[in-house]
Amino acid sequence: MKKINPEIAIQLTNVSKRYEIHHDKPTLIEKLTRGRNEIFWALRDINLTIRKGERVGIVGPNGAGKTTLLKIIAGITHPTTGTVVRNGKTVSLIDLEAGFHPDLTGLQNAYLNGMLLGMSKRQIERALPAIIAFADIGQFIDVPLFTYSFGMKLRLGFSIALHSNPDILILDESLGVGDAKFKRKSQRALQKLISQHKTFILVSHWMEFVRQNCDRVIELEKGRYNGKKRSSL
Amino acid sequence: MKRYALHHFWELLISMTHKELTTRYKHTLFGFLWVFINPLIQMIVIGFIFPLFIKEPIPHYNLYLFTGLLTWNFFSLSLAKGSSSIVNERSLIKKSKFPHAIIPLSIVLSNAINLLLSFALILPFTLYYQMFSMERVGSFILGFILLIIFTSGASLLTAALNVRYRDITFFTQAGLIVWFYLTPIVYSIYSVPPALLFIWRLNPMTSVVQFFQNAFINYPAPGLAMIGCNGTIAIATLIIGIWVFQSESKLFDDWL
Repeated sequence: MKKINPEIAIQLTNVSKRYEIHHDKPTLIEKLTRGRNEIFWALRDINLTIRKGERVGIVGPNGAGKTTLLKIIAGITHPTTGTVVRNGKTVSLIDLEAGFHPDLTGLQNAYLNGMLLGMSKRQIERALPAIIAFADIGQFIDVPLFTYSFGMKLRLGFSIALHSNPDILILDESLGVGDAKFKRKSQRALQKLISQHKTFILVSHWMEFVRQNCDRVIELEKGRYNGKKRSSL
Repeated sequence: MKRYALHHFWELLISMTHKELTTRYKHTLFGFLWVFINPLIQMIVIGFIFPLFIKEPIPHYNLYLFTGLLTWNFFSLSLAKGSSSIVNERSLIKKSKFPHAIIPLSIVLSNAINLLLSFALILPFTLYYQMFSMERVGSFILGFILLIIFTSGASLLTAALNVRYRDITFFTQAGLIVWFYLTPIVYSIYSVPPALLFIWRLNPMTSVVQFFQNAFINYPAPGLAMIGCNGTIAIATLIIGIWVFQSESKLFDDWL
């Protein structure tokens, strides 16, 4: 394993990502009869170093490659060329309700989801009272998830992700989860994580929001990043 | 770190298997019994019709059939569900980074638990007809290991390929229909013409079924040549399955 500077959270070197465009479901028959697909480069030669404790905003218009960049940072997909070094556990707070099973109870889902986020069973057991208290779902924890409201699912998802002890958090501007009370609570939780020197990566269309909340802004345009650093101040 | 990753893999696999088992039967009255009823109906129908055409009757034909049918149902259910499993669980793949192999493997494992429970229901009949012997427990274990190796390999392979080629699951299902008749379930391996026996040598399910037939109804165990050919193919399938799955899984997100 390559030795990396412990001060660095994420390092991308010459990262490019190519997608094949397919208009229908991809099939073997199509592959054999039609040959090559059109290709599309979502990211080109991205070089990026994010230090521990940094709050970085990623902005850019639709199709600039923001989502692809986040997926590569989170390890959900791999770059076509280039290398990614990740130093610490990365957890995404986007699509919080994804991966829940409607027939399982809140508790069963918390276990499964926590494990998928890299927690061990013991860690989940220990964090469980805090997860339930923070999500504020009370006795609903023993009820199948299909009875939950959308807000309850989001709250549970947010609470699990928060308690999975991430080093690097990925979130977006739509983080206003739940009602005003829960919003305040989640703001406080995030503030606490910031004070613990965790790394934040925030994606947004909204430049002002990013300027207010981040130390550094990365502007993506058509899959490229010119490396020009802007300060929030 | 490596030890933690392995530990996490097992924990995740067990949780996913648990999820498979609980969600599958949560809202059905009979629950687990459905796994049993399907082959039972098949047994009654085939057991009634097939002997009308058979030249040499197989002793205890109903039990012979039932052993093979249970095994086959495990295999075809695992493969049919396994091949589309990654596509079905796309929301998990798109959410976080975790060892994707637990998705098809949890299906194999949950079906394996069902299979063991079903076999436990045959055991009283085996005991009743006094066909049980401790010496043949080894046959059962060998058959079971071979079955798990082959089914896991085939599930990993088809699940991975089905992401990029969505028709793989249809090819698999069509293939399973033919495959059923190329496995000695309704007939005896001894009625296969020697010139065609190589086809059964290429099919690892032959040895698996023969091992179980040996264990439960004292039918002859597979020969060494058959075990050798079948075993090699089963292990090769597992190696290829793991290899293809590992290389394809990096790009699952791109195709889902």
